[in-house]
Amino acid sequence: MRRPATVALALAALVAGATGCATAPARGYEAFVAANPRSILIVPVANRSVDVEAPDYLLSTLPVPVAERGYYVFPVNAVKRVLEDDGLADPFLVHGADPVRLAGLFGADAVLYVTIDRWDAQYMVISTTVTVELDYVLKDGRTGDVLWRSHRVVQQTPSDGTGGGSGGSVLSALVGAAVSAAVTRASPNYMGLARQANAAVLAFPGPGFPAGPFRPEYRRDVAPGPGAKPER
Amino acid sequence: MDRRGTRRGLAALFLALAAGLAGCAGSTSTWRWGNYDDALHAHYRRPQDRATYVAALKEIILAAPREGKTVPPGIYAEYGYALLEEGNGAEAVGWFERERDTWPESRVFMEKMIVNARRTVPASQTPPAGPASALEKGRS
Repeated sequence: MRRPATVALALAALVAGATGCATAPARGYEAFVAANPRSILIVPVANRSVDVEAPDYLLSTLPVPVAERGYYVFPVNAVKRVLEDDGLADPFLVHGADPVRLAGLFGADAVLYVTIDRWDAQYMVISTTVTVELDYVLKDGRTGDVLWRSHRVVQQTPSDGTGGGSGGSVLSALVGAAVSAAVTRASPNYMGLARQANAAVLAFPGPGFPAGPFRPEYRRDVAPGPGAKPER
Repeated sequence: MDRRGTRRGLAALFLALAAGLAGCAGSTSTWRWGNYDDALHAHYRRPQDRATYVAALKEIILAAPREGKTVPPGIYAEYGYALLEEGNGAEAVGWFERERDTWPESRVFMEKMIVNARRTVPASQTPPAGPASALEKGRS
Protein backbone atom coordinates (compact mmCIF):
# COMPACT_ATOMS: atom_id res chain seq x y z
CA MET A 1 0.00 0.00 0.00
CA ARG A 2 2.79 2.42 0.83
CA ARG A 3 4.91 1.23 -2.04
CA PRO A 4 4.20 3.94 -4.63
CA ALA A 5 5.00 6.69 -2.10
CA THR A 6 8.21 5.00 -1.07
CA VAL A 7 9.27 4.56 -4.66
CA ALA A 8 8.46 8.18 -5.42
CA LEU A 9 10.46 9.34 -2.41
CA ALA A 10 13.43 7.27 -3.48
CA LEU A 11 13.10 8.75 -6.95
CA ALA A 12 12.91 12.22 -5.44
CA ALA A 13 16.13 11.66 -3.55
CA LEU A 14 17.76 10.40 -6.73
CA VAL A 15 16.61 13.40 -8.73
CA ALA A 16 17.71 15.76 -5.98
CA GLY A 17 21.13 14.18 -6.07
CA ALA A 18 21.31 14.52 -9.82
CA THR A 19 20.17 18.12 -10.02
CA GLY A 20 21.93 19.37 -6.90
CA CYS A 21 25.19 21.25 -7.29
CA ALA A 22 27.64 18.90 -8.86
CA THR A 23 30.85 18.46 -6.99
CA ALA A 24 33.72 19.01 -9.35
CA PRO A 25 36.65 16.65 -9.24
CA ALA A 26 39.54 18.19 -7.34
CA ARG A 27 41.82 17.54 -10.31
CA GLY A 28 43.22 20.82 -11.57
CA TYR A 29 41.99 22.71 -8.51
CA GLU A 30 44.47 21.36 -5.94
CA ALA A 31 46.58 24.52 -5.91
CA PHE A 32 43.52 26.76 -5.86
CA VAL A 33 41.86 24.87 -3.01
CA ALA A 34 45.11 24.68 -1.05
CA ALA A 35 45.72 28.42 -1.39
CA ASN A 36 42.11 29.08 -0.34
CA PRO A 37 42.01 32.77 -1.37
CA ARG A 38 39.36 35.08 0.07
CA SER A 39 40.31 38.20 -1.84
CA ILE A 40 41.30 38.82 -5.45
CA LEU A 41 43.19 41.81 -6.78
CA ILE A 42 42.24 42.45 -10.42
CA VAL A 43 45.10 44.45 -11.88
CA PRO A 44 44.83 46.62 -15.01
CA VAL A 45 44.44 44.67 -18.25
CA ALA A 46 47.46 44.24 -20.53
CA ASN A 47 46.80 44.82 -24.20
CA ARG A 48 48.28 43.06 -27.22
CA SER A 49 45.54 44.28 -29.54
CA VAL A 50 45.63 47.50 -31.54
CA ASP A 51 42.58 48.97 -29.80
CA VAL A 52 43.97 51.36 -27.18
CA GLU A 53 40.68 51.65 -25.30
CA ALA A 54 40.03 47.93 -25.00
CA PRO A 55 41.88 47.30 -21.70
CA ASP A 56 39.92 49.86 -19.71
CA TYR A 57 36.66 48.67 -21.23
CA LEU A 58 37.46 45.08 -20.40
CA LEU A 59 38.50 46.01 -16.87
CA SER A 60 35.01 47.36 -16.22
CA THR A 61 33.47 43.95 -17.04
CA LEU A 62 35.61 41.94 -14.60
CA PRO A 63 34.70 42.82 -10.98
CA VAL A 64 31.06 41.70 -11.10
CA PRO A 65 31.52 38.13 -12.40
CA VAL A 66 34.65 37.53 -10.28
CA ALA A 67 33.05 38.83 -7.07
CA GLU A 68 29.90 36.84 -7.80
CA ARG A 69 32.00 33.67 -7.57
CA GLY A 70 32.20 34.56 -3.88
CA TYR A 71 35.38 36.56 -3.45
CA TYR A 72 36.26 39.98 -2.13
CA VAL A 73 37.35 41.95 -5.19
CA PHE A 74 39.43 45.07 -4.66
CA PRO A 75 38.05 48.32 -6.14
CA VAL A 76 39.47 48.05 -9.68
CA ASN A 77 39.43 51.75 -10.51
CA ALA A 78 41.08 52.84 -7.24
CA VAL A 79 43.68 50.08 -7.67
CA LYS A 80 44.41 51.20 -11.24
CA ARG A 81 44.82 54.87 -10.23
CA VAL A 82 47.01 54.06 -7.23
CA LEU A 83 49.29 51.92 -9.41
CA GLU A 84 49.50 54.75 -11.95
CA ASP A 85 50.43 57.19 -9.16
CA ASP A 86 53.15 54.76 -8.09
CA GLY A 87 54.72 54.76 -11.56
CA LEU A 88 53.05 51.56 -12.77
CA ALA A 89 50.87 53.11 -15.47
CA ASP A 90 51.91 50.44 -17.98
CA PRO A 91 49.93 47.25 -17.29
CA PHE A 92 52.79 45.15 -18.70
CA LEU A 93 54.97 46.53 -15.89
CA VAL A 94 52.31 45.48 -13.38
CA HIS A 95 52.00 42.02 -14.96
CA GLY A 96 55.77 41.64 -14.94
CA ALA A 97 56.20 42.74 -11.32
CA ASP A 98 56.70 40.27 -8.48
CA PRO A 99 53.17 39.02 -7.66
CA VAL A 100 54.04 38.53 -3.99
CA ARG A 101 55.16 42.15 -3.61
CA LEU A 102 52.17 43.38 -5.60
CA ALA A 103 49.70 41.36 -3.51
CA GLY A 104 51.47 42.56 -0.36
CA LEU A 105 50.90 46.20 -1.28
CA PHE A 106 47.15 45.63 -1.20
CA GLY A 107 46.92 42.74 1.23
CA ALA A 108 45.46 40.51 -1.48
CA ASP A 109 45.35 36.70 -1.28
CA ALA A 110 45.52 36.31 -5.08
CA VAL A 111 46.10 38.44 -8.16
CA LEU A 112 44.14 38.12 -11.42
CA TYR A 113 45.99 39.11 -14.59
CA VAL A 114 44.00 39.46 -17.78
CA THR A 115 45.63 40.04 -21.17
CA ILE A 116 43.85 40.94 -24.41
CA ASP A 117 45.33 38.98 -27.31
CA ARG A 118 42.77 40.10 -29.86
CA TRP A 119 40.03 42.71 -29.91
CA ASP A 120 39.21 43.50 -33.50
CA ALA A 121 36.70 43.45 -36.29
CA GLN A 122 37.49 42.08 -39.73
CA TYR A 123 35.44 43.93 -42.26
CA MET A 124 34.37 41.90 -45.25
CA VAL A 125 32.20 43.08 -48.08
CA ILE A 126 29.02 41.53 -46.78
CA SER A 127 29.73 40.66 -43.18
CA THR A 128 32.00 41.48 -40.29
CA THR A 129 33.65 39.13 -37.84
CA VAL A 130 34.30 40.54 -34.39
CA THR A 131 36.89 38.68 -32.33
CA VAL A 132 37.80 38.97 -28.66
CA GLU A 133 40.61 36.72 -27.41
CA LEU A 134 41.54 36.87 -23.73
CA ASP A 135 44.05 35.23 -21.43
CA TYR A 136 43.39 34.92 -17.69
CA VAL A 137 45.94 33.97 -15.01
CA LEU A 138 45.38 33.86 -11.24
CA LYS A 139 48.49 33.86 -9.04
CA ASP A 140 48.89 33.14 -5.34
CA GLY A 141 49.70 36.32 -3.40
CA ARG A 142 51.94 34.47 -0.95
CA THR A 143 53.96 32.25 -3.25
CA GLY A 144 53.46 33.76 -6.70
CA ASP A 145 52.46 30.33 -8.02
CA VAL A 146 49.86 30.07 -10.76
CA LEU A 147 46.61 28.89 -9.15
CA TRP A 148 44.45 28.86 -12.26
CA ARG A 149 44.55 29.93 -15.88
CA SER A 150 42.20 30.09 -18.81
CA HIS A 151 42.15 31.30 -22.38
CA ARG A 152 39.11 32.22 -24.41
CA VAL A 153 38.32 33.23 -27.97
CA VAL A 154 34.85 34.57 -28.67
CA GLN A 155 33.79 35.44 -32.21
CA GLN A 156 30.69 36.90 -33.66
CA THR A 157 29.66 37.06 -37.29
CA PRO A 158 26.24 38.63 -37.54
CA SER A 159 23.99 36.69 -39.87
CA ASP A 160 22.48 38.67 -42.69
CA GLY A 161 19.03 38.13 -41.25
CA THR A 162 17.22 37.98 -44.56
CA GLY A 163 16.42 34.33 -44.12
CA GLY A 164 16.97 33.52 -47.80
CA GLY A 165 13.27 32.96 -48.40
CA SER A 166 12.05 32.35 -51.93
CA GLY A 167 10.61 35.86 -52.05
CA GLY A 168 13.91 37.61 -51.36
CA SER A 169 16.07 38.46 -54.32
CA VAL A 170 19.83 38.10 -54.23
CA LEU A 171 20.10 41.85 -54.34
CA SER A 172 17.95 42.42 -51.27
CA ALA A 173 19.93 39.76 -49.43
CA LEU A 174 23.13 41.61 -50.32
CA VAL A 175 21.67 44.92 -49.24
CA GLY A 176 20.55 43.38 -45.96
CA ALA A 177 24.01 41.98 -45.35
CA ALA A 178 25.64 45.26 -46.24
CA VAL A 179 23.42 47.06 -43.77
CA SER A 180 24.27 44.45 -41.14
CA ALA A 181 28.00 44.91 -41.79
CA ALA A 182 27.63 48.69 -41.62
CA VAL A 183 25.85 48.47 -38.28
CA THR A 184 28.57 46.22 -36.90
CA ARG A 185 31.21 48.54 -38.27
CA ALA A 186 29.66 51.47 -36.45
CA SER A 187 29.86 49.70 -33.09
CA PRO A 188 31.20 46.17 -32.90
CA ASN A 189 29.76 44.56 -29.81
CA TYR A 190 33.08 44.03 -28.04
CA MET A 191 31.58 44.47 -24.59
CA GLY A 192 29.00 41.76 -25.18
CA LEU A 193 31.72 39.40 -26.38
CA ALA A 194 33.98 40.31 -23.44
CA ARG A 195 31.15 39.53 -21.02
CA GLN A 196 30.54 36.22 -22.81
CA ALA A 197 34.22 35.33 -22.49
CA ASN A 198 34.25 36.20 -18.77
CA ALA A 199 31.11 34.21 -18.12
CA ALA A 200 32.50 31.20 -19.98
CA VAL A 201 35.86 31.11 -18.20
CA LEU A 202 34.36 31.71 -14.75
CA ALA A 203 31.51 29.20 -15.10
CA PHE A 204 31.64 26.38 -12.57
CA PRO A 205 31.77 23.40 -12.76
CA GLY A 206 33.97 24.00 -15.72
CA PRO A 207 37.04 26.04 -16.13
CA GLY A 208 35.99 28.67 -13.55
CA PHE A 209 36.84 29.44 -9.93
CA PRO A 210 35.40 27.18 -7.25
CA ALA A 211 32.98 29.05 -4.97
CA GLY A 212 34.65 31.54 -2.66
CA PRO A 213 33.85 32.25 1.01
CA PHE A 214 30.93 34.55 0.14
CA ARG A 215 28.97 31.79 -1.58
CA PRO A 216 26.86 29.21 0.24
CA GLU A 217 28.44 26.28 -1.61
CA TYR A 218 31.94 27.37 -0.52
CA ARG A 219 34.08 24.27 0.07
CA ARG A 220 31.24 21.98 -0.92
CA ASP A 221 31.72 22.19 -4.68
CA VAL A 222 35.23 20.77 -4.81
CA ALA A 223 36.42 17.81 -2.82
CA PRO A 224 39.13 19.37 -0.60
CA GLY A 225 42.55 17.96 -1.30
CA PRO A 226 44.91 16.75 1.40
CA GLY A 227 46.84 20.00 1.16
CA ALA A 228 43.85 22.22 2.03
CA LYS A 229 44.75 24.87 4.54
CA PRO A 230 42.44 26.16 7.23
CA GLU A 231 40.53 29.36 6.64
CA ARG A 232 42.55 32.46 7.19
CA MET B 1 -4.81 5.69 -0.19
CA ASP B 2 -2.53 4.49 -2.91
CA ARG B 3 -3.28 7.45 -5.07
CA ARG B 4 -2.77 9.91 -2.25
CA GLY B 5 0.56 8.33 -1.41
CA THR B 6 1.63 8.55 -5.00
CA ARG B 7 0.56 12.14 -5.17
CA ARG B 8 2.50 12.96 -2.01
CA GLY B 9 5.49 11.20 -3.45
CA LEU B 10 5.22 13.14 -6.67
CA ALA B 11 4.98 16.40 -4.74
CA ALA B 12 8.14 15.45 -2.86
CA LEU B 13 9.81 14.71 -6.16
CA PHE B 14 8.95 18.10 -7.59
CA LEU B 15 10.02 19.82 -4.38
CA ALA B 16 13.35 18.03 -4.44
CA LEU B 17 13.79 18.89 -8.09
CA ALA B 18 13.02 22.56 -7.46
CA ALA B 19 15.33 22.66 -4.45
CA GLY B 20 18.09 21.02 -6.40
CA LEU B 21 17.73 23.45 -9.26
CA ALA B 22 17.50 26.48 -6.98
CA GLY B 23 20.53 25.34 -5.02
CA CYS B 24 22.63 25.30 -8.14
CA ALA B 25 21.38 28.44 -9.81
CA GLY B 26 24.47 30.38 -10.66
CA SER B 27 22.55 33.40 -11.79
CA THR B 28 21.41 34.51 -8.34
CA SER B 29 23.31 37.65 -7.54
CA THR B 30 24.94 37.75 -4.12
CA TRP B 31 25.18 41.52 -4.12
CA ARG B 32 23.27 44.43 -5.55
CA TRP B 33 25.46 45.89 -8.28
CA GLY B 34 23.04 48.32 -9.90
CA ASN B 35 24.62 49.45 -13.15
CA TYR B 36 28.15 49.52 -11.73
CA ASP B 37 29.91 47.90 -14.71
CA ASP B 38 28.13 50.04 -17.30
CA ALA B 39 28.85 53.19 -15.26
CA LEU B 40 32.54 52.31 -14.97
CA HIS B 41 32.69 51.55 -18.70
CA ALA B 42 31.06 54.91 -19.47
CA HIS B 43 33.51 56.60 -17.09
CA TYR B 44 36.45 55.18 -19.07
CA ARG B 45 34.82 56.21 -22.35
CA ARG B 46 34.05 59.75 -21.25
CA PRO B 47 36.25 60.68 -18.29
CA GLN B 48 34.93 64.26 -18.41
CA ASP B 49 31.46 63.00 -17.49
CA ARG B 50 32.47 61.80 -14.04
CA ALA B 51 29.30 63.00 -12.27
CA THR B 52 27.32 60.12 -13.80
CA TYR B 53 29.84 57.58 -12.53
CA VAL B 54 29.91 59.03 -9.02
CA ALA B 55 26.10 59.17 -8.97
CA ALA B 56 25.93 55.49 -9.97
CA LEU B 57 28.20 54.52 -7.05
CA LYS B 58 26.11 56.57 -4.65
CA GLU B 59 22.93 54.97 -5.99
CA ILE B 60 24.27 51.47 -5.19
CA ILE B 61 25.20 52.53 -1.66
CA LEU B 62 21.78 54.04 -1.02
CA ALA B 63 19.62 51.44 -2.78
CA ALA B 64 21.21 48.22 -1.51
CA PRO B 65 20.15 48.55 2.17
CA ARG B 66 16.72 49.81 1.07
CA GLU B 67 16.23 46.57 -0.85
CA GLY B 68 17.62 44.45 1.96
CA LYS B 69 20.75 43.65 -0.05
CA THR B 70 24.44 44.11 0.62
CA VAL B 71 26.60 46.74 -1.03
CA PRO B 72 29.11 44.78 -3.14
CA PRO B 73 32.81 44.59 -2.29
CA GLY B 74 34.83 47.59 -3.39
CA ILE B 75 31.94 50.02 -3.86
CA TYR B 76 32.45 52.08 -0.67
CA ALA B 77 36.13 52.30 -1.58
CA GLU B 78 35.45 53.36 -5.18
CA TYR B 79 33.08 56.04 -3.91
CA GLY B 80 35.65 57.21 -1.36
CA TYR B 81 38.30 57.29 -4.06
CA ALA B 82 36.07 59.38 -6.34
CA LEU B 83 35.58 61.88 -3.48
CA LEU B 84 39.33 61.94 -2.85
CA GLU B 85 39.93 62.72 -6.54
CA GLU B 86 37.53 65.62 -6.18
CA GLY B 87 39.56 66.98 -3.28
CA ASN B 88 37.14 65.82 -0.58
CA GLY B 89 39.65 63.85 1.49
CA ALA B 90 37.75 64.35 4.73
CA GLU B 91 34.65 62.55 3.51
CA ALA B 92 36.73 59.97 1.60
CA VAL B 93 38.25 58.82 4.91
CA GLY B 94 34.80 57.84 6.17
CA TRP B 95 34.08 55.67 3.13
CA PHE B 96 37.48 53.97 3.27
CA GLU B 97 36.78 53.17 6.92
CA ARG B 98 33.42 51.76 5.96
CA GLU B 99 34.99 49.51 3.30
CA ARG B 100 37.56 48.33 5.85
CA ASP B 101 34.95 47.62 8.53
CA THR B 102 32.58 45.85 6.10
CA TRP B 103 35.29 43.79 4.37
CA PRO B 104 38.26 42.90 6.60
CA GLU B 105 39.93 41.61 3.40
CA SER B 106 40.42 45.24 2.37
CA ARG B 107 42.17 46.35 5.57
CA VAL B 108 45.75 46.68 4.28
CA PHE B 109 44.74 48.72 1.24
CA MET B 110 42.17 50.84 3.08
CA GLU B 111 44.58 51.75 5.91
CA LYS B 112 46.91 53.15 3.25
CA MET B 113 44.09 55.03 1.55
CA ILE B 114 42.97 56.49 4.89
CA VAL B 115 46.49 57.79 5.55
CA ASN B 116 46.63 59.25 2.03
CA ALA B 117 43.23 60.88 2.34
CA ARG B 118 43.99 62.34 5.80
CA ARG B 119 47.14 63.89 4.38
CA THR B 120 45.04 65.96 2.00
CA VAL B 121 42.97 67.40 4.84
CA PRO B 122 44.46 70.49 6.55
CA ALA B 123 44.88 69.90 10.28
CA SER B 124 42.74 72.92 11.12
CA GLN B 125 39.80 71.60 9.12
CA THR B 126 37.42 69.45 11.10
CA PRO B 127 35.95 66.68 8.97
CA PRO B 128 32.28 67.17 8.15
CA ALA B 129 29.73 64.77 9.58
CA GLY B 130 29.91 61.51 7.69
CA PRO B 131 26.98 60.17 5.71
CA ALA B 132 26.34 57.52 8.34
CA SER B 133 27.12 57.18 12.01
CA ALA B 134 29.12 54.01 11.37
CA LEU B 135 31.62 56.16 9.52
CA GLU B 136 32.57 57.91 12.73
CA LYS B 137 33.84 54.66 14.17
CA GLY B 138 37.55 54.74 14.87
CA ARG B 139 37.81 58.44 14.17
CA SER B 140 39.07 60.41 17.18
